[in-house]
Amino acid sequence: MKPALASLYQAVDLRQEIPPLLIGERMNTNGSKRFRDRLLVDDFQGCVEIGLEQERRGAHILDLCVAYAGRDEKADMLEMVQSLRGTVKLPLLIDSTTPDVIEAALRIYPGRCMVNSINLEDGGKAIRRVCTLLKKYGASTVALTIGPKGMAMTAADKVTIARQIHDIAVGEFGLRPQDILFDALTFTIGAGDESLRDAAIQTLDGIRGIKAALPGVGCVLGLSNISFGLAPASRKVLNSVFLHEAVLAGLDAAIVDPGNILPLARIGSSERELCLDLLYNRQKDPLRTPLMLFIDHFHRLAGGEVKSAEKAEEEHRPADQALTARIVEGSKEGLEDLLAILLRRMPAVEIINRILIPAMRHVGELFGKGELLLPFVLQSAEAMKRSVALLEPHMPLVKEGHATRILLATVQGDVHDIGKNLVDIILTNNGYQVFNLGIKVPAETIIQQAIEKKVHVIGLSGLLVKSALVMKESMQQYREAGLGIPILLGGAALTKKFVATECGPAYDAPVVYCSDAFAGLQAVRDSEAGKLKGTTFDMAAPVASKPGVKTVDLDRSNPVPVPPFIGYTHVHDIPLSVLYPYVNTQALFRGRWGYRRAKLSLEDYNKLIADKVQPLYERLVRESASEGWLKPRAAYGYFRCFSRNNELIVRDENREYLFGFPRQGEAPNLCIADYFKTEAEGGDLVGFFVVTMGGEIAEKTRLLYETSQYHDYLMIHAFGVELTDALAEYWHAVMRRELGIAGKEPTETSGFVTQDYQGSRYGFGYPSCPDMEAHKPVFKLLHPEAVGLELTENMQMTPEFSTSALIAHHPQAKYFAV
Amino acid sequence: MSYPTQRFICTHCGYIYDPANGDPMNEILPGVAFEDLPEEWVCPICYVARENFDPLD
Repeated sequence: MKPALASLYQAVDLRQEIPPLLIGERMNTNGSKRFRDRLLVDDFQGCVEIGLEQERRGAHILDLCVAYAGRDEKADMLEMVQSLRGTVKLPLLIDSTTPDVIEAALRIYPGRCMVNSINLEDGGKAIRRVCTLLKKYGASTVALTIGPKGMAMTAADKVTIARQIHDIAVGEFGLRPQDILFDALTFTIGAGDESLRDAAIQTLDGIRGIKAALPGVGCVLGLSNISFGLAPASRKVLNSVFLHEAVLAGLDAAIVDPGNILPLARIGSSERELCLDLLYNRQKDPLRTPLMLFIDHFHRLAGGEVKSAEKAEEEHRPADQALTARIVEGSKEGLEDLLAILLRRMPAVEIINRILIPAMRHVGELFGKGELLLPFVLQSAEAMKRSVALLEPHMPLVKEGHATRILLATVQGDVHDIGKNLVDIILTNNGYQVFNLGIKVPAETIIQQAIEKKVHVIGLSGLLVKSALVMKESMQQYREAGLGIPILLGGAALTKKFVATECGPAYDAPVVYCSDAFAGLQAVRDSEAGKLKGTTFDMAAPVASKPGVKTVDLDRSNPVPVPPFIGYTHVHDIPLSVLYPYVNTQALFRGRWGYRRAKLSLEDYNKLIADKVQPLYERLVRESASEGWLKPRAAYGYFRCFSRNNELIVRDENREYLFGFPRQGEAPNLCIADYFKTEAEGGDLVGFFVVTMGGEIAEKTRLLYETSQYHDYLMIHAFGVELTDALAEYWHAVMRRELGIAGKEPTETSGFVTQDYQGSRYGFGYPSCPDMEAHKPVFKLLHPEAVGLELTENMQMTPEFSTSALIAHHPQAKYFAV
Repeated sequence: MSYPTQRFICTHCGYIYDPANGDPMNEILPGVAFEDLPEEWVCPICYVARENFDPLD
C-alpha cells in the first residue's frame, strides 16, 4: 500500500507525482510572528486563517506547532486541531517535542496524520514513547537526524543516525519504512561560517545516502534553514534552487512557505549559477568566495534600478499583468486573490476577453515558435481552466451565445481520444464552446449533432490508417447533408497531401489539415475572420520518378521454424523491469510528451532532458511499479497456416480462419500473405499475440482528465501507451527466441525501429493489414479474455492500453505501405 | 561545398533520417539534406509527415 495521509476530506500521497510534497510551515509559533501574535491573544480563528491561506497557495499538508513558553501547549494543540479538522482540507503534521501533546492530538484527529518528530537526542527514550503512539494511531512520522551528540553535520553521521532510528522504528516497533520521512537537516551557508561552507553538499549527500541505505523511506527537509542570514529576496531564490537540487538528490517532501518557492524557469541562468556555486562551494574567483559574489549580486539588484523578481511581481506589477504571467507560466498560485482584485475593476467576461484569452493566445504563439513545449502549454491550460472556473459564479447565466461553436469527434471505429482531447483543452481555454462527442462517432451522429448544436466548425480526429479512410469516405455524406461548414482533420495517419487530394475535393467547404492543436486553433480563428482556406497541395514537383519496376524476389526455400508448442497460452506475470530496455524514449519524450528540441540548442535540450524529462520518466517507472497501475499480460500462440494469393489460412485444431491482406498497387506489389508458404510448398507457421497493460492505467488517466489535470493526464497516458509498445516489442523478441530465429538482435532502440531482426510483426489497423475485423479470429485463436481483454463492436480492444500483432518469421518480411 | 550532416529523428517512431544514408525506401539518395526532402516525403517506418521530425544533433 502506498503511504498516504488523510484528513476528514481527502487523502494526500506522501510521495507526490511531482515531488516534493509541500508542507506548509507558517502555523508555527517559532517560525511565524503572525501566527504567534494571534495565538497569544487566543485568536484561534485567525490562526486557522493562516492554515487556509497556505492551502490556497498550494501546500499539500500543514505543519502545526503551538509550543510557546508560558502557554499550555496541550490545550492550545487541542483547540487548534479541533478548529482545523473541520475547516482545512489538508492533513496535519503535528509538530511537538512532548509525547503527551502528540498523543492528545492524535487521539482527536479524524484521519491519518503525521508527527514531527522523532530523534535520538536523549539516547532513545522519547522515540520509543512516540513510536508506541505512532503504532497505536497508525500515524507516520518525520525523523530528525539528531543523535546524543547533537545534530548530524556530515553526510556519514546523518546516515548513521537515520539507520539507528530506522532500527528502532521499523525493527522494534514495526512501522513501515515508507511512513518515515528522514530530515537530513540543513544548516545555513549564508552566514559565512567557514565550517559550514559545504553544509549543502553534506545535506544532499546525506539524502542520497539515506535513500540508498534504507530502502523505502522518504526524505524531508526544512528548506529555508539553508539561507538563514541572507536578505529575504535572495533567500527565496537560493531556497528554490536548493529545493530543486534536493529533489534531484531524492528529496520527497519539503517544509516551506509554498508561496515563497519560485519555479526554476523564473530564475535567470546567471542567478541560478551563483546559487549553485554557493551551494556546491565552487570558488571561481580566487579572491572572493561564492557567498560574497552571491551577496554582491543581490545587493546590487536591491539597490539598483533592477528590482528583484519577487518585488516586481508581488508588489509593483499590476494585477492584470500578474494574471497574464500566471497563465503564461502555467502557475495557479494566488489566482483567487488576483481575480478578486480584478473583479473590482471589471466584469468577469472582460477579464476573460481582455486578459485570459490574449494570454492563452500568447501561449499558442510561443508554442508555434518552438519556445514553449507541450507539457508547459498544458500547465497554462490548467491555470486558464482554474481561472475561468473561479470567474464562472460572476458571469451572467446566458454566457456568450454568440461564441464560435466547434464540434469535435474521434471518427467511427477509432477509440483514440488523446489528440482530440488536447484540441478540446486548447479550444475551450481560448474561449470557444466545444462539443466533444467522444470516440467512435459515426458520420450520421456528427451530422445530426452539427445541425442540432448549430456549430460553426467540425474537427475530426483519428489515429488509425483506417480512420483516414473513414474521413475520406464520409466527406460525401457531409456534402449531401448540406453542412457547408469547415471541417478540420487531424491525426497521425493523415498528411497534407492526403487531406488536399483525397478529402477536400469531395466536400464543398474548406477541409483543413491540422498538424497539432494550435493549428486547429489557428484554423478556427481564420474561419471567424472569414479567411479560412482548404488545404492545398502542390503536385507540380513530383518526386524523382521511380526508376523502372522494382521487384522483390522472395525466398521460397527459407526453413519453417519449430515452435515450442502449437495453440495458445496466457502469461500473467510479466515483470515490468524486462520492458524498460525496449522503451523508445525518443518517441516518448519528443513525440508523445512533446519535449521536442525544436529551436533549442543541443546543449539546452540535453539539459532539459537531464533535469526535467529523464527524472519524470524515472519517477513514473518507479511509481508504476510500486503503485501497480501497469500490469503487463500476454496471450499468444503459434499456428499452422498456408497462403493462397492474398490470403492466409490459419488452422487451429479442426477449424480454419481466413485472414485477407491488401496488395501494393505498384511495384514491388507486396502483400503479407507472400511471406508464408502455400499449401503446395508445404505450408508454414504463423504467430499471433495480444498484449495489455491492464485496466488500471485506463482508469487512472480517465480520472486525471476529468479533474482537469491536463499535464499529468498527457504524461501518464503517453507513458502507458509507450510501455504498451515496449511490451509488444518485448513479446515479439520472446517469440523470436522461442522460434529459434533470434540470431541477430538489435542492441539499441534504433535497431528495433528499423527492424534489424529476423521477420516482422504486423499490427491490425496499420497499412499492410488494415482490417480490424481480423481481431475476431485472433480472439478465437488466443482467448485473450482470460488476460482481461475484450473486443468492442467496432473490433477495438479494451482496455485501451493493449495491442495485437501477427508475427511473420520470413527473413525478408518487413514493414511496407499499401 | 559542405556535405549535410544534420540528422533528424521521427518523434513518432524514433526513425533517424541521416543525410549520409538518404532514404532508400523512398528513393532518396545519400547527400540530401533533411530540408531538401520533397514536401510529400513521409517517415519510411511509420509514414508520418515531416513536420513530426526533430533535429537530433
